[in-house]
Amino acid sequence: MPTRIKLDHGRMALVEDPFTHVADDEGVPHGDVIVSLTRFQAEGERLLSDGRLVGVRLEPSEEVEALAYDLPRIAVVAVAFPKYRDGRGYTAARLLRERYAYAGEVRAVGDVLREQAGFMVRCGFDAFEPADGSTPQAWEQAAHRHRHVYQRAADARAPAYAERGEQ
Amino acid sequence: MYRYDGIDKEILADRAAEFRGQVVRRLAGEMTEDQFKPLRLMNGLYLQLHAYMLRVAIPYGSLNSVQLRKLAWIARTYDKGYGHFTTRTNLQFHWIKLADTPDILDALASVDMHAIQTSGNCIRNVTADPFAGATAEELDDPRVWSEAIRQWSSLHPEFSFLPRKFKLAVTASAKDRTAAKVHDIGLLLRRGRDGALGFEVIVGGGLGRTPYVGPTIREFLPAARLFSYLEAVLRVYNRHGRRDNIYKARIKILVSALGAEEFARQVEAEWEKVGTAGDLPDTELARIRAAFAPMNFETLPARSEAFETARAANPAFARFVRNNVKPHKKAGYAIVEVSLKAIGETPGDASAEQMDVVADLAERYGQDDIRVTHEQNLVLPHIRLDDLPTVHGVLAQAGLATPNIGLVSDIIACPGLDYCALANARAIPVAQHIAERFADPDRAENIGELKIKISGCINACGHHHVGHIGILGVDKKGEEFYQLTLGGSGAEDAAVGSILGPALPAARVAEAVDVLVEVYLRERQDGERFLDTFRRTGVAPFKEAVYADAH
Amino acid sequence: MRALTANRLTDGEVVFWKDGQWVERFADAQLFGDDEAEAAEAAEAHGKCQFTVVVEPYLIDLTEAGEVWAPVSYRERLRALGPTNHLHHGKQVEGGDVVEALQHASGAARSKGRVDLIKRK
Repeated sequence: MPTRIKLDHGRMALVEDPFTHVADDEGVPHGDVIVSLTRFQAEGERLLSDGRLVGVRLEPSEEVEALAYDLPRIAVVAVAFPKYRDGRGYTAARLLRERYAYAGEVRAVGDVLREQAGFMVRCGFDAFEPADGSTPQAWEQAAHRHRHVYQRAADARAPAYAERGEQ
Repeated sequence: MYRYDGIDKEILADRAAEFRGQVVRRLAGEMTEDQFKPLRLMNGLYLQLHAYMLRVAIPYGSLNSVQLRKLAWIARTYDKGYGHFTTRTNLQFHWIKLADTPDILDALASVDMHAIQTSGNCIRNVTADPFAGATAEELDDPRVWSEAIRQWSSLHPEFSFLPRKFKLAVTASAKDRTAAKVHDIGLLLRRGRDGALGFEVIVGGGLGRTPYVGPTIREFLPAARLFSYLEAVLRVYNRHGRRDNIYKARIKILVSALGAEEFARQVEAEWEKVGTAGDLPDTELARIRAAFAPMNFETLPARSEAFETARAANPAFARFVRNNVKPHKKAGYAIVEVSLKAIGETPGDASAEQMDVVADLAERYGQDDIRVTHEQNLVLPHIRLDDLPTVHGVLAQAGLATPNIGLVSDIIACPGLDYCALANARAIPVAQHIAERFADPDRAENIGELKIKISGCINACGHHHVGHIGILGVDKKGEEFYQLTLGGSGAEDAAVGSILGPALPAARVAEAVDVLVEVYLRERQDGERFLDTFRRTGVAPFKEAVYADAH
Repeated sequence: MRALTANRLTDGEVVFWKDGQWVERFADAQLFGDDEAEAAEAAEAHGKCQFTVVVEPYLIDLTEAGEVWAPVSYRERLRALGPTNHLHHGKQVEGGDVVEALQHASGAARSKGRVDLIKRK
């Protein structure tokens, strides 16, 4: 079974991935699946009523607002990075966590590189399909490189000004 | 000045260590250039024509003597003994080795300096009024807000992969010394009707291929709500800015495409959702504000005998005072502008020795406070009038007292094709030829305020669009040609310049500027500046004179 | 006539291909005649694989400048020489016939080699 890197209480590990990515023109296999937003909007009800876990893949131009109503029933949102330089996924993840209190898995897919680990974790990503062959150890190391942060984000780390308040 | 505490220092140390690791991995081949490039850009490291270029951040143009001496040391140790101050008040080293950069970043971090986000598609350095804390004109100290913005924007997890670079400016005086209206966001400090402090927010100004004076998106933003509002603007931009074409990716294109009203509406809608949770706590703002509390100024008489005597006795000093010295809010003090535009030298360049001289003067005479302007000069913002003759003498010996601030030979020029991989033509020799042509200080003073700005390519790092005379290097069949524009301004009367006529070959540019000046002197009325005369007469008399031999 | 150039990874120094090595002086660069297109492109491809040695190798056009070959474009002449505002910086310090010829080469024209430096989409 394929794996993806999963973040759990600060630790990164390779965890079995029960989800299959299904393209729009493919038949839907048994088991848990991740489908495009378009497909979810067309077939989501049916897929969910099958009793399986369903995830939705969000392209950068697609907005999380379109998923808002269905989020409680979506097991994973796969946020796509067609190019690592496309930063729209960071906003998507933050909104999922902070505005919609989404508690499922937020997974980074596509051109996903370990050097983005820090930013991704801060924005609320907790699962990663790296494109650069990097290991969970590398992701954990990259995610913990900074002892302090200046601003609030989805990860609930205390920003520097809050740390100062405690001193 | 803001003093970095343990947390700020650890942030810099961690960032330097992170980059060291990335460099090691790049040199070992574990990362391709394509993967490494945005990482090195986020640390201000470019690959240019002759070597790597490191752009060191001088946050909101402010530094102290320890920091300036360290920059001089880096220039000597890792570069060719000089640095270049830019139109965004940063410092560039043009001869850097990638392999040395981790050590350089460590050296910078040791004096609370860095190169964070001086390049890349992220939030860049804030340009603030270089007279902050010294001028009586200001409503509030722009540095307070600039430092808060620096912290909020540094390593921002959501906004580090924007469609394109993002530049802010903060100004608090009627006179705008930051070019705020041609920034992605310009923040103009204002008082509300009830006297409360706030900002007029301008979004979507910019230069480059498509210059715009930015529209006001919000007339009055309460100061305490700054960061939630910035978050809303950046989020709208991150989501909707174009990513298909790098020449259409700045926020100015989005604002223009949506229209200011619709853009403002989208920001307001997002801002409402962000709410006060996005704002900086009052305690933190107060803490930052306290760092910029008024310094220990002496109580001095407004008139200084030493100053008056020197001014009467020494015409060179008097000329320096007329052009390079500005009024200070405290009696007996003055703001001193240090010209990095010696005739025939490279605009904005300072040798390591010159940096040390300025550092020493600041430490001894100037409250240890040094500023960089977006016109590539330095400022000693707090000099006692009593000390001015001495300070002037030291500056003059170091070639830093050219009495030309704001005059024709105070030229802004990007490094251009001599250094920059993006350039079409050279800018430095053009600046040098013009300055040499106008070397006579009497003539320069007679001409008065004339801001010439030169860019070696359409990226407009020389801010040519907002020059009273703008000069843009273009490549015409491989030869260096220059397009002149007139009537631009980067001040509170911001405007984009109008094209004068067909581009001129390099050899004719200085002469053309001479002709333009002669037309101005002929036409001017009642103490008009060059810019004022142009605005009254329009381009016709200037164009006719420059292209006369074309008839 | 063409040559292959790049920047050295570790220090950004401008370098030129010569028989499988990267040399610092334009005067030492290997020249590829118009009938040697395959060899030129092979060298470029080889350079692109050496991503721990050089960054972004590309071919540049040359033109006759007196008795030597000079890059067609100003940019490439400046890369081969150094900046014109500091004649004691860069490769030009070494002097010699080729440096002098480059400094005095007349005219310049659009060079295909330049296009790679400006990432036009």
